[in-house]
Amino acid sequence: MIESEQNRVIKIFHGPQHPGITGNMSVELDLVGETIQKARTHIGYLHRGFEKLVERRTIIQAFTIVCRICVPEPDPNEENFARAIEGLAGIEISERAKYIRVMVLEMSRLSAQMLWMGGQSGSVGLGTVAQWSIYDRDLILDLFEELTGGRVYHMYIYPGGVRRELPDGFLDRLTQFLDYLERRLPKYDNILFDNSTFKKRAIGVGVINPDEALKYGYVGQALRGCGIKRDVRKDNPYLVYDKLDFDIPTFEGGDVYARALVRRQEIKESIKILRQVIADMPTEGDIMQKIPKHRKFKIPKNDILVSCESARGEFNYYMAGDGTEKIRRMQVKGPSLIHGFTLLEKMLEGEELSNVAMIMNSLGICPPEIER
Amino acid sequence: MIDSLSKQYEIEDKGNRLFKIRINQNEFLRTINFIGSSSNFITLSQIACSDWIEDEVFILNYILTTDRRDKNLMIELEISREQSKLPTLLHIFPQAEVMERDLHEMYGIDFIGNLTLYDFALEDWNEIPPLRREFDTLAYVNEHFEFRAGREDNKDVKAETKRRRAEAKKLKAKKEAKK
Amino acid sequence: MKFSIDIKGTIAPFSAIARVFEHPQTICYPSQKKEKVDGYRGFHTNLLETCIGCANCQDVCMNDAIDMITITEEKNPKNNSACIPRIDYGRCCWCSLCTDVCPPSSLKLESESIWANEDSNNFLYMPKDK
Repeated sequence: MIESEQNRVIKIFHGPQHPGITGNMSVELDLVGETIQKARTHIGYLHRGFEKLVERRTIIQAFTIVCRICVPEPDPNEENFARAIEGLAGIEISERAKYIRVMVLEMSRLSAQMLWMGGQSGSVGLGTVAQWSIYDRDLILDLFEELTGGRVYHMYIYPGGVRRELPDGFLDRLTQFLDYLERRLPKYDNILFDNSTFKKRAIGVGVINPDEALKYGYVGQALRGCGIKRDVRKDNPYLVYDKLDFDIPTFEGGDVYARALVRRQEIKESIKILRQVIADMPTEGDIMQKIPKHRKFKIPKNDILVSCESARGEFNYYMAGDGTEKIRRMQVKGPSLIHGFTLLEKMLEGEELSNVAMIMNSLGICPPEIER
Repeated sequence: MIDSLSKQYEIEDKGNRLFKIRINQNEFLRTINFIGSSSNFITLSQIACSDWIEDEVFILNYILTTDRRDKNLMIELEISREQSKLPTLLHIFPQAEVMERDLHEMYGIDFIGNLTLYDFALEDWNEIPPLRREFDTLAYVNEHFEFRAGREDNKDVKAETKRRRAEAKKLKAKKEAKK
Repeated sequence: MKFSIDIKGTIAPFSAIARVFEHPQTICYPSQKKEKVDGYRGFHTNLLETCIGCANCQDVCMNDAIDMITITEEKNPKNNSACIPRIDYGRCCWCSLCTDVCPPSSLKLESESIWANEDSNNFLYMPKDK
């Protein structure tokens, strides 16, 4: 803490060791009393150098490390990587593999929303919600364990399809879990979304101006909480999302409460999508296309941009190949790059110190994907 | 808007609602201003850079997207690896500030007008910008870190197979000679 | 959106008390153990009767975690190099690419995931022969 004689400005570091931070980053705050004058984000505690690591590995070797770029929700990374390689190499995957991929992505979205609920309520002081939602997330991780072999890092969505066949009875167990989750949602309403404590803290805090939101590149709930309906699954559809029937929820207000309500609706929409996928999944078709052996799998000299909707917003991958079996460049841009810097530093000016954790959780800032 | 842009520029359609324009470095600001004002590609979504050391250029792709977020336009330009300078887009798109800071740290590109080109992810980094192709990560690791002992008994399988085959041949020849 | 106090929002959170009377969901390890799941990517096993010592696993591992070491007792006459894999668990990421490329499918992953050793610097694991 540094106190200046003239202005009584105190500078503190909110993080990187702080339970109110969504990950491992720090925000340098200049305070007068409890009001923030200026905020600056600092990252660099989690830099693992994925973009350089991928340049020394062949494509199949690189596929196994890509999922570690984002910790709460690894599957959009695998999906983007696989789709970029398939786009460059000209591989078409089967309908069955597409439906299985959509199922895995939606399950991953549900588990990320459960984790968000725990973080958001913990930052406001409602610890009970975190205990409940982490248990419900554990049931999803049990399903992932029997499908893919791993609970958090699945390494399942492969360039060419998916890696394993569904176990016997998996779709029945998934349906049972969805029924259970639908019964639990009204209880979450009672303790979180309709709770007066949460509403008093969250309404009117962390407001985003809708006029500049589109131009400044905000994505995900930052837009949908201001009433702007944008979602990659509807605007730029991929896999089989153009055949599925679902809605994009929006709420007016642009504050923390509006974004929380958007996420609550998205949980219901994800359950709706999963039920349609279970009903419509083709029973025949290869899950995996034949691809060359790993030292002979070459991609032509070209570049491509792919994007995918993760639980927090639009996730982009730029990939360039150079005719060899190694990737020339893979550049990852997650939703938190703009939200964590441009949006956060602007939003925190004039806010109170106790609201910082709540705002960071509501924007869903994930440091692993900012600094890869 | 793609039709209106195609009168001025040659547009490559890469499929899946992705388009590309190639321009020269000196037309850069003029192109960005023109596209921003006369089409609905209003947001800067990403600045992607790749290093083509064999051609001695960096290839930068400025990726713009529409207000409906349904199409993407890649503006590709080449800049020299030795004198890599470009004007900043900070005043048109505030989100460019952090993207340019990232590229400055990883490639060493200077963005004129951006005053925030300090550390982004690396701290006290004294070597060359790490994403350049001439930076060898394996050499850096071998120089700065020690490996744990215990793995010295690793064998090269091809050499072992050859050696065993040669020994087996020798043994067979000896036996025949004895007979 | 404006905040206004409402009865439901003030009283409804107390419904959480009903959960106090439910059975807790945590597993009391070690007296209770977690059910092992088929197909979980745990530790390696290598059937030495079929392992041919081709080092495909060493070639595909991108973390350089696999060493090929000379076998002490020959189990498979077709193993021309007389070498079998040993894995460094300080580097392995359990991606199971090594099991995908094994030609006789002798290298597999079992559901076991607990290994205790007195030496804290020892990460080298010899796959079980089964």
